[in-house]
Amino acid sequence: MENLHIPAFAPEILFHIGPIAITNTIVNVWIAILIFLVLGLFIKRNIKNKPGKLQNACEYIVELLLPYFDQVTGDRKKTIKFLPVVGSIFFFVLLSNWLGLLPGTGSIKLGHSFLLRPANSDLNLTLAMALVAVLSSHIYGFIAVGVFAHIGKFIQIKGIIKSLTKGPIAIFTAIVEFGVGILEIISEIAKVVSLSLRLFGNIFAGEVLITVIATLVAFAVPTPFMMLELLVGLIQASVFAMLTLVYLTVAVQEPHGTEH
Amino acid sequence: MSVNNNENTIEETTEVHEAVASDGGIAASLGLNAQLFVFQLINFAIVAGIVWFMILKPLVKKMEERKKQIDESIDNAKRVETNLAESERQYQLKIDEAKVEANKIIELSHEEGKKLGKMLKDKAHNDIELLVMQAKKNIEIDKQEMKEEIKKETVELIVLAMEKILGERLPENIDQKFIKKILEEKK
Repeated sequence: MENLHIPAFAPEILFHIGPIAITNTIVNVWIAILIFLVLGLFIKRNIKNKPGKLQNACEYIVELLLPYFDQVTGDRKKTIKFLPVVGSIFFFVLLSNWLGLLPGTGSIKLGHSFLLRPANSDLNLTLAMALVAVLSSHIYGFIAVGVFAHIGKFIQIKGIIKSLTKGPIAIFTAIVEFGVGILEIISEIAKVVSLSLRLFGNIFAGEVLITVIATLVAFAVPTPFMMLELLVGLIQASVFAMLTLVYLTVAVQEPHGTEH
Repeated sequence: MSVNNNENTIEETTEVHEAVASDGGIAASLGLNAQLFVFQLINFAIVAGIVWFMILKPLVKKMEERKKQIDESIDNAKRVETNLAESERQYQLKIDEAKVEANKIIELSHEEGKKLGKMLKDKAHNDIELLVMQAKKNIEIDKQEMKEEIKKETVELIVLAMEKILGERLPENIDQKFIKKILEEKK
């Protein structure tokens, strides 16, 4: 029990490259980047109309995923449009979650710090991804409905001005809508916070759980928990990607009332 | 790149914890760090770039191409099938037309054959009649000629017989007149 090492919230710094501190979560991200790079190079060079085994497997996974995305967007064209963001998030979160279960994570040490730690147990990374997801939803919104129309979803001054000629009830409704717009702005911030904290919390909790179990009983007992973590990794990747997709889909919709 | 020894690592970890303590905020206590955040943001951008441009985009493009090819092939197959059915229909139509035409030709040939046969038969009949008539005429001529010949021969014979009987010869003209008279009487 003396050797029980509960990971801290903050990732551990392994070394520095110039002024930049390299943490153990960054090492995991680099491994993920390396895997994607090798896979990407292989696919880009060997992609054929008659697919090989690897291309076939990759296509199978993409084909499996796209219908789920279609259910949210309702249109394959939209799915493909959002795929750069959503697909990248899904595959990166999934791979980095599963990489965290590789032997060596939480056991191999470099100095006093562990060399590897699940990438998503670093709030900096999950926050970065959440921010990218929410910001990209607004960028897509600007492109789809126009800058002013999209901003108008949040700051509804136009409604108040229009209501001035329509009587007190219309003014009251416009004020309420303006308030709702303000709440929408807050909810955008909440989206970032909830996305990042959900992923971070789940992966960090899993890491802590496996560390504790592995410290208590090293053999066999952690296996079911690791299996569970495999599932958690998939679920969290799906949740993050699906929520991002929902945000993107909602952002590109016309604001209420413009269709009339 | 430099890998720190154990002491350095401990110092850095301490630095981080001290920074957390000094900031005192919730974000810092959760390990948020501006420098790390930016670095992770860059890392994610790299990942997104690789995943999209090197994996998903080529795969999706190829899948779309293949889908398009399959759709085109199915359309072509349907078109070929339709054309085949149409060709078969046309073929059957032509065959039926040809059968009708052939029957008509056979019927016409039959009729023409009949007509030709009848015509040839009539012609043969006429020819035969003509031949028979010609033959009869010839026979009649021959008969007349023979009669004349017999008459002539008979006259000569009679003349000879008379000469023998009478023992002298009559003058030619009297002889002839006499015989003719006898012959006339005989008739």
